[in-house]
Amino acid sequence: MANKTTTPSSSEGLAEAEKVTVTIDGREVAVPRGSLVVDAASSLGIHIPIYCAHPKLDPVAVCRMCLVRVGKMPRLQPACATVVSDGMVVTTQSPEVAKVREGMLEFLLLNHPLDCPVCDRGGECDLQDFAVRYGPQTSRFPITQKSHAAKAVVLSDKIELDQERCILCWRCTRYYDEITGEKELVLVRRGIDTVIDSFNGEPLTSDFQGNLPEVCPVGALTHRQYRFQARPWDLQRTKGICPECSYGCNINIDARDFEIKRFASRDNPQVEDMWLCDRGRYSVEKWSHGSRVRHPLIRAGGEVREVGVDEAVAEAARQLGEVLRLHGGGAIGVIGSPMLTNEELWLLQRLARETLDCHNCDHQLDELGNVSADEHSLGIAEIEDCETVVVLGAEPEANTPVLTLRLHKAQLRRGVEVRRVEHDASPASLGIKGKRLVGVIADEVHRAYAADMADALASGNTLVKRLTVTRGVNGRGAKDMGMLPTQGPGYSRVTGGKDGRQILHAASAGAIKALLLVGAETVLRGAGILAEKALAKVDVIIAIEPRAGIVANAASVVIPGHTYFEKRGSVTNVEGRVQRVSPALPPATAAPQETRVLAMLAAALGATGWGTGDPFEVNTMLSQAIDAYRGAGNGGRALWKRQGEPR
Amino acid sequence: MFKEIIKGMAITLRYGLSRPITVQWPEEQKPATPRHRGRHILHRYYNGLEKCIGCELCAAACPVGCIYVGPAENDPLNPVSPGERYAKRYEINLMRCIFCGYCASACPTEAITLGPQCDFANYRRERTVLTKQELLEAWPKFERSRGDMNQRGAGADQRSTGKSLNPGPSPRLAWEAQADETHEAPLPGHGGIPVNVPGVIDPSEESRA
Repeated sequence: MANKTTTPSSSEGLAEAEKVTVTIDGREVAVPRGSLVVDAASSLGIHIPIYCAHPKLDPVAVCRMCLVRVGKMPRLQPACATVVSDGMVVTTQSPEVAKVREGMLEFLLLNHPLDCPVCDRGGECDLQDFAVRYGPQTSRFPITQKSHAAKAVVLSDKIELDQERCILCWRCTRYYDEITGEKELVLVRRGIDTVIDSFNGEPLTSDFQGNLPEVCPVGALTHRQYRFQARPWDLQRTKGICPECSYGCNINIDARDFEIKRFASRDNPQVEDMWLCDRGRYSVEKWSHGSRVRHPLIRAGGEVREVGVDEAVAEAARQLGEVLRLHGGGAIGVIGSPMLTNEELWLLQRLARETLDCHNCDHQLDELGNVSADEHSLGIAEIEDCETVVVLGAEPEANTPVLTLRLHKAQLRRGVEVRRVEHDASPASLGIKGKRLVGVIADEVHRAYAADMADALASGNTLVKRLTVTRGVNGRGAKDMGMLPTQGPGYSRVTGGKDGRQILHAASAGAIKALLLVGAETVLRGAGILAEKALAKVDVIIAIEPRAGIVANAASVVIPGHTYFEKRGSVTNVEGRVQRVSPALPPATAAPQETRVLAMLAAALGATGWGTGDPFEVNTMLSQAIDAYRGAGNGGRALWKRQGEPR
Repeated sequence: MFKEIIKGMAITLRYGLSRPITVQWPEEQKPATPRHRGRHILHRYYNGLEKCIGCELCAAACPVGCIYVGPAENDPLNPVSPGERYAKRYEINLMRCIFCGYCASACPTEAITLGPQCDFANYRRERTVLTKQELLEAWPKFERSRGDMNQRGAGADQRSTGKSLNPGPSPRLAWEAQADETHEAPLPGHGGIPVNVPGVIDPSEESRA
């Protein structure tokens, strides 16, 4: 069980000083005042079985599984709800406690169906584990007299409920009360007939239902998407970052037979606080399907030829070199994608600016204007420290749904005032004055409004920090890496070029003669007919593309790319946190990773000093080039200098 | 000394004249003992439903990892096995199997047992991976297909019928073809399998048929 912090993780130095000493099973430990006995025990490595207690939820002490002897109290006390006091003596291992645990488990198992073999939770079930560890070996209750309830109740298109397996720990109802603030699951009927059901039998509509099976300690709530897909021991677990938005939720990618079966949360209190949204969690299927580009292709005169990587790179360099010689770098357009890693984006802009002498590079289509590091100075966990948070428009929460949970937590636990306003709300009308720390959250299209708002609110003692929600998993990294038309790595000033849409317009008008597209399929699809026109007009299209599509079908040279889950590298989330990703699936192609292909391409174009294109090597190079990334490491935030503030 | 030679030769002579215990295998076969651990069988209930519920406990218990189970959800109107779950894919790699019988011990529904057949030599590597089709008892006449229990051990349909000789798709080939869901077992002459596949034919097959 993860350490439960009764004091919020983001606050610094609070309650650090006050410690109390308790004795658990004869061993002394000093824990912060206000800790719970169960956490004090776990800091000593002593395990106390719990069902209803959850590190992110308030204690209720309904399951009675964690009863321990506390001092001279007349009865056993629930460890999950008892706060430690100085000099407390706790006994967790005695015949008395063992007998109570055995009795509790016998009660829990009275009507629990013995369908572990077909239960999706089998193998990672707390009831299974504790029954083996603390439970009675037999039951005195005849199996034929078990009372039965509804099985496989479909609560929504995402969640299935098995009322027989439920042990009534209330974790799911409390999750709705405390974490999302919605109330969709309720306890119905009383006594032995009590079951969990959706309110009025209506289907669940929450955007965060996928967390229910994870808070459920048994197999009562299960994912429909993961239903009977695998057993926990079949799964190969890889630490990763959710691919759906730029929030950077930490996930465990569970794969079986070269196929991703589910995304499970990996608790990072600084980012997602262990809660994922359904859009991210159930985006599993799209990674297992789709026709892939498996071999490098050269398309010439209506004929497509399968070639080796070396030949494809040489041909790409020849075609790009010719355009460069005849028309100059201004006739080349480079479009990346916010799905690429930092390493790839950094190499791509370097290839464009240094080798191809081209300033037309972008990672998306819209005109973003001037971007600066100031726009993401507010950390996600820092939201809880603000006094007021202003959210401009519905886009930030629509783009990164987990932000809603953080705002709710800040509101509920820390009393933060959350103001959801229109994009163009006037700062004066909000009436925010004399606050210490104010957060302004906007999406990247409306960043100018956020800047105005921040300028208007900042005064005297008020510190305003902004958070800009970017699109694409690495939208922030793409900007940090300088994959922008007017700004280079680290938001440095460079010679301006065309942005994404301008590149496509210029290409369809014939001004741009060559396109270098890396993973740009998703970006170009957003441009609709314009992209198709541009792709039809331009002769030299060099594409590094994982999937077949409009780009791979039009390109003169196609080099197979890798999907997000086949790569090594790092991605940066909305708040500038640099997190590593590593391959969860084997590559579908023998072609080397994009960083290597880009290095080969640069070498073929006559550039030197590019190294081998190994992602770690590129990472070292880019953190030397961009100051802020030097101290970020894996999981740290890139440290940007704030304007007018010495480092 | 002379006496000892006569004594020794007498033993030789006696065994030379008695009936030989060597069996002319494979033309002639010995009955397997009831608890012989040979090739696996997936059993059915008498109503034809599969006993296997796809729980993968056999795969978990297997010390060499030769069992692959791909579970799926039953259609309530047309179930494959009782309950919610069944094994959509069930494969055993006989090259890896050490015939320890742990899978049978682990099985909560007694769906898998080890039968009498012990000759698995093959010319095609793919064929040594048995698919569910090959492992499963025939139906509806599965009682008859089990044969004489005493003669054939505790087994089921292990007579080499033409059908059961078809190798299923190997996991690797199926994955490459990306068709493991809908893929039918390739027949000889298809999917890279030669037309005349040499197979081991059970001689008792003809007499019984």
